[in-house]
Amino acid sequence: MKDVLIVTTAVNESGDQVSAPARSAIEFKNVICKIGSKNVLDNINLSFKRGEITGILGPNGAGKTTLISIMTSLRKHTSGEVTVLDEKLPVRGGRLRQRIGVVLQETALYEELTTVENLRFAASLYNVKDVKASIKNVLELLMLSDRANQIVRTLSGGLRRRVAIARALLHDPELLIIDEPTLGVDVEARHAIWSHMRVLKSKGRTVIVATNYLDEAQALCDQVAVLRTGKLLTFETPESLLARTGICLDVTCEDAAGQSITDAVMRVPGVLRVEKTETGLTVFLKGEQMSKDVISVILATAQIEGVRMRAPDLLEVFKSLEQPTGRT
Amino acid sequence: MNPVIRALLGSAQAEFIQLARARSLVILTVVQAVTFLFLVSLFGMTGARAPTALIDYDKGMYAQIFVQNLKTAHHSFTIIPMDEETANRALAHGNLVAEIIIPAGFSDAMSQGKTVPLKVIVDNIDTDMTDDIQRALPSAIIQFAKQIKLPGIHVQVAEHDLIDHDTDFIPYLVVSSLVLAAFTISGILSAVAVAREYETGTAAMLALAPVHPIVPLVGRVLATCAVSMGALAITCCVAVFGYGIIPKHPFEMAATLASCVIIFGCIGVALGAGMKRTLPVASLVFGIALPLFMFSGSYEPERFDGNTIWTLAHFSPVYYAVGILEHAAYGLIVTPESVSLNFLYLLGWAVGALLVAAIFTRRGVTR
Repeated sequence: MKDVLIVTTAVNESGDQVSAPARSAIEFKNVICKIGSKNVLDNINLSFKRGEITGILGPNGAGKTTLISIMTSLRKHTSGEVTVLDEKLPVRGGRLRQRIGVVLQETALYEELTTVENLRFAASLYNVKDVKASIKNVLELLMLSDRANQIVRTLSGGLRRRVAIARALLHDPELLIIDEPTLGVDVEARHAIWSHMRVLKSKGRTVIVATNYLDEAQALCDQVAVLRTGKLLTFETPESLLARTGICLDVTCEDAAGQSITDAVMRVPGVLRVEKTETGLTVFLKGEQMSKDVISVILATAQIEGVRMRAPDLLEVFKSLEQPTGRT
Repeated sequence: MNPVIRALLGSAQAEFIQLARARSLVILTVVQAVTFLFLVSLFGMTGARAPTALIDYDKGMYAQIFVQNLKTAHHSFTIIPMDEETANRALAHGNLVAEIIIPAGFSDAMSQGKTVPLKVIVDNIDTDMTDDIQRALPSAIIQFAKQIKLPGIHVQVAEHDLIDHDTDFIPYLVVSSLVLAAFTISGILSAVAVAREYETGTAAMLALAPVHPIVPLVGRVLATCAVSMGALAITCCVAVFGYGIIPKHPFEMAATLASCVIIFGCIGVALGAGMKRTLPVASLVFGIALPLFMFSGSYEPERFDGNTIWTLAHFSPVYYAVGILEHAAYGLIVTPESVSLNFLYLLGWAVGALLVAAIFTRRGVTR
């Protein structure tokens, strides 16, 4: 492994030992990226720590892929400063690219070649020294050994993603950037890919993941940067992000009942906000433990058809970031 | 091994594997190269030997001598003896281009030194054929008059050939068509190989690699050039064994064709990187190759076609390639530029095309 999380200690004025922050893997300072006259990234300030899995979360068109394109030098930013692995962009030559592994949204594999042939070609591009051993390692890591000689065209979406990840890891990069790691893959493959990424983290690699899925960010990431229409809404842990949004209580009821329930539950401490839906209401609670109290209030207020508790989705997270409390 | 060379070879190997899995494409490529020879042969043949009826009511000695002169006067038509009724029917059905009628008493009139009117009926659907008949008849009449020593012919042709041998039209065309074959095969294979990288999204992966993306693309083109050279080698065999063309300077010919494959391969890279779509780029290469072939001295030295076309031809790599190839095959000098200068121009084209390809490639994947 070429790089690990570095934590140094220093002593402050009063003589106490303090931990100095780890060096950033990637740092964005006041970054603006324009396409035509539109700001696709608007004044982004971010710092991704080494040795962590960091998520970039946002809906389509949020600017995730643009952010990744800038990190990987596929796109130039309009203004601001971007530093990747201590090198300020733009960097001429291939030195920095040699240290980064990238999995793009499209897997970009050669369909008519086998898994091994794809990897062998990538090895020639990245000047991998011990090709045989490196290919064997990544195939084992991603559990692809039995698919080594299969033509990529015949592989499923999930397997292709794994081949693309294997290719990105072949040259043992310090930084792995993955755009939509589980796009179009089934649940089983999704969990397999998550598990591989956790293995990578345990080996000290820095991983950046762009995703549409909140549960993916929650399952994988140490920190999450939430983007919407090119703006950074927040950068925090998935847990705090979810705590801020709250737990959702979907109430199925008539319109008239919905109004009285809203008035009643908004008086209960711990209810963050209430949102009207097509089938009734969604009540956002600060914690799971208070759901019983809220349900009692609802039942006492009006007749309802049903109630169900669930985790919030991405859209609800955005709404909570934009409008933390109240009724909508 | 140097990382650039390694990437180049790795890419060439990957392309070879892909081509090996697309055997029908490779076979079609070879077939395409050979069909170009047939294409130009057919083209050469269509303007020649148009059927012309000869209706001879005389059948005397002078009529026979005249017919003999008619047969050798012009290659554009073939004389077919027939009766007038059959000839009229054939002409009406479009099976004949003309009728030449030798009247009864032709030989007697000739022996007495009298003027004889010769009736000619022409299907003037295409004035090109009419012109050929109009040119051929006076020529045959003069030859006939000279042969039978009619008085009044005072002009003799004293022909001095610049070249010690004649080259037939079709063999001339066949040699120049090898350049067209090189252009289309190498150009299309290379352009498609490069455009496919954009179509399938793999070009972005190349842009992320430490080597410049032009390196793997050139590697791919090395493989397509090798396949193109194989296809051209088969085409050359057809030219040698099928058409009996024995090159005067075989190494010059081989070197020219190899250069053509590489140059047109580089042009293909530039077009593929510019267009980024396989289907349009294949059509584009074909669309560019044909006009360039037409006005690059493929039928005759280009300077015979007037200054404007000749000047324009200098912007085409095909002009220089045809110049070298006609020299290699028959020792002909068809361009005022020397063979070595033509080679230099071709080299310049290759370097220029590669530079354009490098710019297009980088721009195509980074923004």
